[in-house]
Amino acid sequence: MDEAKTIAQPDPKLLELLVCPLTKATLRYDREAQELISVKAKLAYPIRDGIPIMLPSEARELED
Amino acid sequence: MSAASNGQIGAVVDRDLTTRRRVRQASAESGARPTFLHDVSAEELTDRLAVTKREFGCCLVIDDAYSALRTRINRLANIGDVISSAPHRALLETSTGGVVADEEVLPFAPESLDLVLSNLTLHLTNDTPGTLIQIRRALKPDGLFSASLFGSETLTELRQSLLAAEAEAAGGVSPRVLPFPDIRDLGSLLQRAGFALPVTDQDRLTVRYDTMFDLMRDLRLMGLANSLFQRSRHPSKRSLFLRAAEIYAERYSDRDGRIRATFDYVYLSGWAPHESQQLPARRGSANVSMKDALEGRDR
Repeated sequence: MDEAKTIAQPDPKLLELLVCPLTKATLRYDREAQELISVKAKLAYPIRDGIPIMLPSEARELED
Repeated sequence: MSAASNGQIGAVVDRDLTTRRRVRQASAESGARPTFLHDVSAEELTDRLAVTKREFGCCLVIDDAYSALRTRINRLANIGDVISSAPHRALLETSTGGVVADEEVLPFAPESLDLVLSNLTLHLTNDTPGTLIQIRRALKPDGLFSASLFGSETLTELRQSLLAAEAEAAGGVSPRVLPFPDIRDLGSLLQRAGFALPVTDQDRLTVRYDTMFDLMRDLRLMGLANSLFQRSRHPSKRSLFLRAAEIYAERYSDRDGRIRATFDYVYLSGWAPHESQQLPARRGSANVSMKDALEGRDR
């Protein structure tokens, strides 16, 4: 459990400002998976070491 | 990594290539990187902010090479939280909170930022109007966008010398130096992107080098080597560059034999519209005829 806590968390203030770069729609923060999910674009943007990677090319495609 | 703009029709700059080159430079251990070009404009942008009588709570610094801007604006009293963005994690100062983003597809909510800064990045965008529109939308009303970029006269000597040498040797030319934007076009782009009170101005920096090769070495180290999609994919002959260096030295050297390289800095600023800003008077609201005013009969 302790290990899980040491994972760098993204700055909550930053998360509030972020939207999907393609659709500009709001994102859902999946804390477990460390992903920001754009429902409209069907993309999950990864957060690595607390840094959101907001590039469509790096995002995981979601299935319906 | 492929930036969205690289797939776009009519793209001029290979942005993936510039990012890859910069990442490679940033991760190379040895050698001092020439940061003076970014330092000059970062200093100027910081000076301008220092005399802007406004508090900026939430500020975005787009792709701040060498942290030139961030290290300077940190000492200003009117700047609050600073977010850095970069097109690759290796180009982001990890000690400070940041986000990996492409400035051509910005991931910021409408009306979420008080200030957006960009130091020498916009000349490398393909969709410059689209980038400006997204920046304007991300700004809160009365938020400020302030940027520097390289304008049309940048590296004009290098461009001319390479063109002349290639025309002699091959009877044809391929583009080797980025087409930098004209300051007048940038002014109208700001306006079209919906910025109020747009201001553009220009500053020239002449840097002197021993030879054209020293200049090109610096450009490579700064990640500014030829990144045009239309660049020739055939390796260029060494003789071409030797001839270009000769032409450069003939045409653009000072008495001591050193060559001149022009860097044409363009500074842009614009505000997201807000009702408190000055506006032109409404059409038809004047009560003095233009004819009288021009003839000085209004008194």
